[in-house]
Amino acid sequence: MASKASPSASASGSKSGEDLTMMGSQGTSPNLKEISSVIEFLKKQVASQRGVSIQKRMEENKQKLVGVTNYMYNLSMARRSTWINDTGKNVDLLIRRQKDAFDMHNGIDVNNGDKDTLDEDGHASTAVLLGSNVAVKNAVRPIKLTEVKRLPPYTTWIFLDRNQRMTEDQSVVGRRRIYYDQNGGEALICSDSEEEAMEDEEEKRDFVESEDYVLCMTIKEVGFSDTVLETLAQCFSRSPCEVKARYEILNKEEKAVGDCKNGDNEDASQIGSSFLDKDLDAALDSFDNLFCRRCLVFDCRLHGCSQDLVFPAEKQPSWSPPDDENISCGLHCYRSVLKSERTVGVSSPSNGDFEEKNVTSCEGVQISLRKKPSGPSARKTVKSCQSESASSNAKNISESSDSENGHTQDDSHIHHPSPSKTKLAGKCGIRKRNSKRVAERVLACMQKRQKKMVASDSDSIVNGGVPSDTKLRSNSCKENEDSSSSSHKNVKSPIGGRSRRKESTVKDSHIQVEVPDGSSNEMITDPPATSSDDNIRKEEFVDENLCKQESGDDKSWKTIEKGLFEKGIEIFGRNSCLIARNLLSGLKTCWEVFQYMNHSQFKMSCQPGDASNSLMEGYSKVDFNGSMGNNEARRRSRFLRRKGRVRRLKYTWKSAAYHSIRKRITERKDQPCRQYNPCNCQTACGKQCACLLNGTCCEKYCGCPKSCKNRFRGCHCAKSQCRSRQCPCFAADRECDPDVCRNCWVSCGDGTLGVPNQRGDNYECRNMKLLLKQQQRVLLGRSDISGWGAFLKNNVGKHEYLGEYTGELISHREADKRGKIYDRENSSFLFNLNDQFVLDAYRKGDKLKFANHSPDPNCYAKVIMVAGDHRVGIFAKERISAGEELFYDYRYEPDRAPAWARKPEASGSKKEDGGPSSGRAKKLA
Amino acid sequence: MAKFSLGSEPVVGSLTPSKKREYRVTNRLQEGKRPLYAVVFNFIDSRYFNVFATVGGNRVTVYQCLEGGVIAVLQSYIDEDKEESFYTVSWACNTDGTPFAVAGGINGIIRVIDAGTEKIHKSFVGHGDSINEIRTQPLKPSLVVSASKDESVRLWNVQTGICILIFAGAGGHRNEVLSVDFHPSDIYRIASCGMDNTVKIWSMKEFWTYVEKSFTWTDLPSKFPTKYVQFPVFIASVHSNYVDCNRWLGDFILSKSVDNEIVLWEPKMKEQSPGEGTVDILQKYPVPECDIWFIKFSCDFHYNAAAIGNREGKIYVWELQSSPPVLIARLSHTQSKSPIRQTAMSFEGSTILSCCEDGTIWRWDAMATS
Repeated sequence: MASKASPSASASGSKSGEDLTMMGSQGTSPNLKEISSVIEFLKKQVASQRGVSIQKRMEENKQKLVGVTNYMYNLSMARRSTWINDTGKNVDLLIRRQKDAFDMHNGIDVNNGDKDTLDEDGHASTAVLLGSNVAVKNAVRPIKLTEVKRLPPYTTWIFLDRNQRMTEDQSVVGRRRIYYDQNGGEALICSDSEEEAMEDEEEKRDFVESEDYVLCMTIKEVGFSDTVLETLAQCFSRSPCEVKARYEILNKEEKAVGDCKNGDNEDASQIGSSFLDKDLDAALDSFDNLFCRRCLVFDCRLHGCSQDLVFPAEKQPSWSPPDDENISCGLHCYRSVLKSERTVGVSSPSNGDFEEKNVTSCEGVQISLRKKPSGPSARKTVKSCQSESASSNAKNISESSDSENGHTQDDSHIHHPSPSKTKLAGKCGIRKRNSKRVAERVLACMQKRQKKMVASDSDSIVNGGVPSDTKLRSNSCKENEDSSSSSHKNVKSPIGGRSRRKESTVKDSHIQVEVPDGSSNEMITDPPATSSDDNIRKEEFVDENLCKQESGDDKSWKTIEKGLFEKGIEIFGRNSCLIARNLLSGLKTCWEVFQYMNHSQFKMSCQPGDASNSLMEGYSKVDFNGSMGNNEARRRSRFLRRKGRVRRLKYTWKSAAYHSIRKRITERKDQPCRQYNPCNCQTACGKQCACLLNGTCCEKYCGCPKSCKNRFRGCHCAKSQCRSRQCPCFAADRECDPDVCRNCWVSCGDGTLGVPNQRGDNYECRNMKLLLKQQQRVLLGRSDISGWGAFLKNNVGKHEYLGEYTGELISHREADKRGKIYDRENSSFLFNLNDQFVLDAYRKGDKLKFANHSPDPNCYAKVIMVAGDHRVGIFAKERISAGEELFYDYRYEPDRAPAWARKPEASGSKKEDGGPSSGRAKKLA
Repeated sequence: MAKFSLGSEPVVGSLTPSKKREYRVTNRLQEGKRPLYAVVFNFIDSRYFNVFATVGGNRVTVYQCLEGGVIAVLQSYIDEDKEESFYTVSWACNTDGTPFAVAGGINGIIRVIDAGTEKIHKSFVGHGDSINEIRTQPLKPSLVVSASKDESVRLWNVQTGICILIFAGAGGHRNEVLSVDFHPSDIYRIASCGMDNTVKIWSMKEFWTYVEKSFTWTDLPSKFPTKYVQFPVFIASVHSNYVDCNRWLGDFILSKSVDNEIVLWEPKMKEQSPGEGTVDILQKYPVPECDIWFIKFSCDFHYNAAAIGNREGKIYVWELQSSPPVLIARLSHTQSKSPIRQTAMSFEGSTILSCCEDGTIWRWDAMATS
């Protein structure tokens, strides 16, 4: 069968197929016999094809393998030849023994192996010829291998510094596990009926190629009918409807093949498009799915992906930067544009009129930039005031005014052919940025994050330019697009920039103008000539940009840009500078954002309904400095904060939340804690609140407003350092939370970056050890009792936090299954965490999992709520000195405790000599 | 076993012996009372092609096959710890060619014996439980890999005594690892199998710098930055019970469970998603009465044939690379009744050794065909 060549098989197949089709067309439907004969034939054909294909693959594999083994043979031969070359060295004993044996076998050796003869090297000849039933043991003198003490047994485990939730593929539920008895030797299958049932459940098999082939061919030849389907189904051991469905799919696919070729091209072109074509929600989809808002990491192993998104009911007050009123954010800042427009005097814009003028203002910009000479003086005065107020660097100010003066001179005398009038506009913007640097440093963090984006964006713009001066272009471009990168650079290389500036003051006025520009561009080694060249190019670029701006109305905004803009309004309020810099850098300039903001505002105000209201708001916000809008937002936020604080005080000790917590404290011993899941209440939590129903407090991750009565409000401790039950957090088995508690704060790093404002009088909270990972060094070693043990490196005092017991978070159901396995091995690392989860440190955990059980322990375990998660901390029960072994009471449920943990008198060994325990042993806090 | 869908059935070998070769018992030794778990020829160095080692109890013994069925004892080593029970042994060598016998067992300590000086070279402590198999990388014979009850597979450098990699963790085995093997040509690739009924294929390509580093490491071995390889590149569920032996046959894998057969299959990996893929079962080599676990098969140097013992003390010799598979011979002797834990085939396959539960070693030689 296998030897039958496939072409002939298919040829005969098609021939008989024709016959059968004819038969099929004669009768209304072919009878069962015909169908099955067709199927049988096809099956045989498929089987022979399979045989041939296996044969072919085996042959291919064989050819490959021959090469490999021959290579290996050469390697082994090479080893012999290296030995031959090294004959000067000591001949190795294995060779000697071989030779001895060989000689003996050939009867050369007289001593014939009965005695132990000592040869010259002092090595006994151990070669013994064996052909009989003499036990080898007695025939040779063995060489002793000195004993090496074995390690206490353990299963390979991975270190975890924080708990992880079990991944689905790690579940033992529904999986059959086979045990073998250490003593009995052979295996026994252990699975209960429930598991058996799950295994019998047949998983859906995909149709394989050959099945498709048989299916198609059969229907082609005998037609489509129920009997055909049934026979086919029988043949594939599937249900007829499955077969039918598959046939329909195949039919469709066949049709689709024709269209496919056209479709391919389209697909290819679509791949090229980036996230820019999506709307914001789509672009953020992966972010929402992968980013954990509780741990602030991607792909969180504790809370998992695709968490329910909780949106806070209280929108945060829009963020406003400190001390930047009146300072423009860059070349395209709406302020500078508007200002220059004002100086042109085309119209005298007042707060009111300007809005209507916005739509046409692009023209104005263009004009104003061209009509530069009248501008500078007015602008200069304004600007120098700004820099005085904003910049702490006095030198910078004087320099800037100097250079400005110099430049105006240049312009009036027209010494230099290269700088045109528009250049000033660019200069101006950059200049302002320099003076603004101090304020911007505050934003360093945000800028850092954005830096990459800026760079890539500018690159893409540069692509349109002249390739030879890409670098210069990109620099200037970055300047124009976003000031953040330049200021960031300044921070990075402050010395270079400053020294350069000093140097340059000696040079002529033109160079002076260039210098600040150069320093911010990091073009330290550039000669002045190039920088002026660069300037020309930059001008062109500015022009390009402005042209683009002219068409910049509503339509040129992509959906994602609009989405980002709306988010920006949410975050920063109506501050186009911040929106453009932080969210739309490289996409839209501040001026464009400003226009769009007003444009959309205008459109909104035109709509009936809340027109008057929004119009009012719009007017009030669209002032030239934008400061009023900011002020308003800030005022509101302050108001909110005050309100919150008052309430907080009021509810501190009487809130319902505390009540339920207190109850849990007293009942703690009997009842496991409840797993917290953030609720999504959009108003103050009522009876339907998921947290309330679940019996947990609302936490900072809940959607509900801060005023929610179910919120845990943290502590206000002043003196106790949160180390006693007087601290409500401590009393509720919670760690203090710097976001919630009033006086518990955390400083960043080693303090070199500054210390946050201290609240309270130098109060240091001692109830954040798990959060801050302020743990003791724990050592792993051979236990004095049994197996492994955990030891302490340094002395600690009573109630000191030693470390966390980490592990996999598994469900109770899973824990029951695993517990059965672990009990069999009499080694369990399960730890009851709360009503939903059990910690399993069997394969993932930390060294504290090896701390042994003792009825008279020196440590205790405690389940503590840390930022919404339950974690297990191990604490010193008494003073423990360095090098001592750590023990704690596993507190197994009495009826489930294994023998070694049951009797308090027998200070238990954890792993060995335990009798078979019934049920499952779990540690309890 | 899952039912095969149409067109993916394996080719099953026929149990009728082809009589291509005939073997006859030429020697039988009683090494001791304790069961012998492993026997292996030295394929690393052509000088020692006729040298083999056995392990059983706390003893490692080195023998030589001579003509006329004669077996000579060359060396014998005894662990002073009487509790030790060796399960596995493998030949390795130093970069200068010194032969090493690497053995491991219930204590979880890997003993590297320098057969050239008849002294212990190194003892590797690290595995948390017994060692079920040790194999040597044929292209770099100072690298050995060990499979352990502690659910890990570890890669060691016998020359410097370094534990280079640990194959365990999130994607690792979920029960004892019983067998492991190096890919014959892809130096980065190993396959392991065990009591979690899976076969896992691992790649150390991304960790190869550590392997190279291990050769030049001069500091204490314990200071070496041992890495965890947590995720295999392929996980195959070919069997529904313990998988106690797997070997590469080119790019295919031979593996066996307790189902009275050796299965040859091809792992078909999806390049985009590591860890996933399909298994195409190509051939089956039936082995009757082979339904207890810890029975291992062995191949000759060129992978032409494989020999496997069974529970009843019989040996089946299969031609591996023909399709359909051909049973070369079925070896039986009236006195061989004890389960055969492992066999060893000589370079050419002309000699087959078997080691048994009752502590005997049997030597079978192919009869000269006229």
